[in-house]
Amino acid sequence: MAGVPVGTGRLIGFAQAAEAVGPDDLYWAARATLISRHEDIPLLDEAFREAFEVIGPPQPASQPVADRRSTVFAPSELSIETGPRDDASESNLASPIEALRRKNFAACTPSELVLVARLMARLRLSAPQRRTRRRRPASGGEPDLRRTLRRAMRTGGEPIERAWRRRTRERRRILLVLDVSGSMGTYSRALAMFAHAALRSGPGWEAFAFGTRLTRMTRALSGPDPDAAFAAASAEVTDWDGGTRIGTCLKQLLDEHGRTRAVRGSICVILSDGLDVGEPDLLREQMERLSRTAHRVVWLNPLKGTLGYEPLARGMAAALPYIDVFRAGHNLQSLEDVADVIARLSTRHLS
Amino acid sequence: MDFTSADHLEQALANASYLADRGLAVAVFLALKLRRPLLLEGEPGVGKTEIARTLARVLGAEMIRLQCYEGIDAGQALYEWDYSRQLLYARTLQDGALDPSRKAAELYGPEFLVERPLLRAVRKGAGAVLLVDELDRADEEFEAFLLEVLADSAVSIPEIGTITADTPPVVVLTSNRTRELHDALKRRCLYHWIDYPTQDREVAIIRLRAPEASQALAEAVAEVVARLRAMDLTKKPGPAEAIDWARALAALGVTQLDQVSVDETLGWAIKNRDDLVMVRKGMPELLGA
Repeated sequence: MAGVPVGTGRLIGFAQAAEAVGPDDLYWAARATLISRHEDIPLLDEAFREAFEVIGPPQPASQPVADRRSTVFAPSELSIETGPRDDASESNLASPIEALRRKNFAACTPSELVLVARLMARLRLSAPQRRTRRRRPASGGEPDLRRTLRRAMRTGGEPIERAWRRRTRERRRILLVLDVSGSMGTYSRALAMFAHAALRSGPGWEAFAFGTRLTRMTRALSGPDPDAAFAAASAEVTDWDGGTRIGTCLKQLLDEHGRTRAVRGSICVILSDGLDVGEPDLLREQMERLSRTAHRVVWLNPLKGTLGYEPLARGMAAALPYIDVFRAGHNLQSLEDVADVIARLSTRHLS
Repeated sequence: MDFTSADHLEQALANASYLADRGLAVAVFLALKLRRPLLLEGEPGVGKTEIARTLARVLGAEMIRLQCYEGIDAGQALYEWDYSRQLLYARTLQDGALDPSRKAAELYGPEFLVERPLLRAVRKGAGAVLLVDELDRADEEFEAFLLEVLADSAVSIPEIGTITADTPPVVVLTSNRTRELHDALKRRCLYHWIDYPTQDREVAIIRLRAPEASQALAEAVAEVVARLRAMDLTKKPGPAEAIDWARALAALGVTQLDQVSVDETLGWAIKNRDDLVMVRKGMPELLGA
């Protein structure tokens, strides 16, 4: 079948099901036994058309042509690039690195970007915590009757030694939404590296790329080569001089994933210059929706690193009221700061 | 009650006021016949929970519902000891009324066991329809635990022993897809995606569930609801909303939909503020011929 894994167990189930119902219901028997995802229904339909009406082989879906030129490398490929001399150790690089940390990504040469990428790979994002409903033994809190009783058995049924339990805490999820449109230029490649480093910090985190449309890039970015993931994503969502439609893309994100854990209660980090060609009203609406669904909204705008920048662009001005943390993210130091701010985001304190 | 065919079951469900589409009828029939759990997915309000309830009625079985939520654990799903009673009992025992070596056995006797839905379902066996509602809300660890109970239809309690169902209960699981369920669980289950009904079927559903609404009103409601679903709404109205809406209109004595009656009762169909604003803006087209 076109891309649906069907194990022996499922086949046996299908055979039993087919026997239990009449031939007219064979399709429904297959649907109940062979698949278990809504997305797989069209594939099953196709397989059925193919098997029982024979209209020729199915047309393969067109694949986006990925730009395979590597300008930002995977961390693993970097070490040879930067260390031609054997004394290129950490300590010798210390002061150039310090300068590089403050250098705007847009001004970096390709070889400097390579180094930035390596430094970025060390960055770890840690999300703030939230209280869950699960409870664990603790030294204080609410009484834990179950364990108290167990202990009372030792003292002849007298609950002398009491036990307590408390709700556990869990880290929030982080959702990265990355602008890969033309105006972002060098920034989006650098920020893709940031997303790559971030995704390896926590389980269940998601990353999306957008231009004129939105695409999920979590899986691609989880691989070893962030540059390939970035190239594939930008080829898919960037129409030639189509501009950025942030509002439309956020809408797509919220419509498709708004009810899932990827968005709800997460820390949403948007990386974009806010140069939007869509309707500002739409962007305002969607930002409001996002701010109600996500726990906190962080917006990184590389233009903010430019001296004298004011968020006057229509899109940015519309989005601003719904942003909890607005930072530049135009150089490594700024990204490190952001990682710090995100870790400290709590219910009350906001920067 | 044994069903010989999917038609037979479909008829029985219809008699109990549930109009199942063909796919759902076949899936439920297979779940009964092959004794496999049935996983139902679909938009909110398409009748995922209701089918379990109706099925219990049709089978003459007890409906046992386990509502999942984040952090649910074995104590809330399977069984728990009644600790306060145990403590009290332990204190009365203290006065030497009983041989200390038997104390533990006494304390963990069946009378202190608090039965939760899963244990109850296993005890009842074929006499129960177990509905595990909104499983996607529970943690992944809970899913694994549930899988274990479902696989053996057995619950083992260290102090008492293993309780096994002779015939496993009918199990219906629902998910709203806020996260993807684990493959291991899905493999064990039959699967059905409940779609929105066709307009004709929706009219029939409204007539069946809200008999106080006239045929004309039911048709009007189904048509407007179909148009609402075609709109770009955050939360589209399901058949459950259509039924509620028809009931509300009938209770107000409305016989046909017009701007005023729709405006007054729109909250029954649309439950999101942004959607309300959008629908109110497009009201003339919504009611237009």
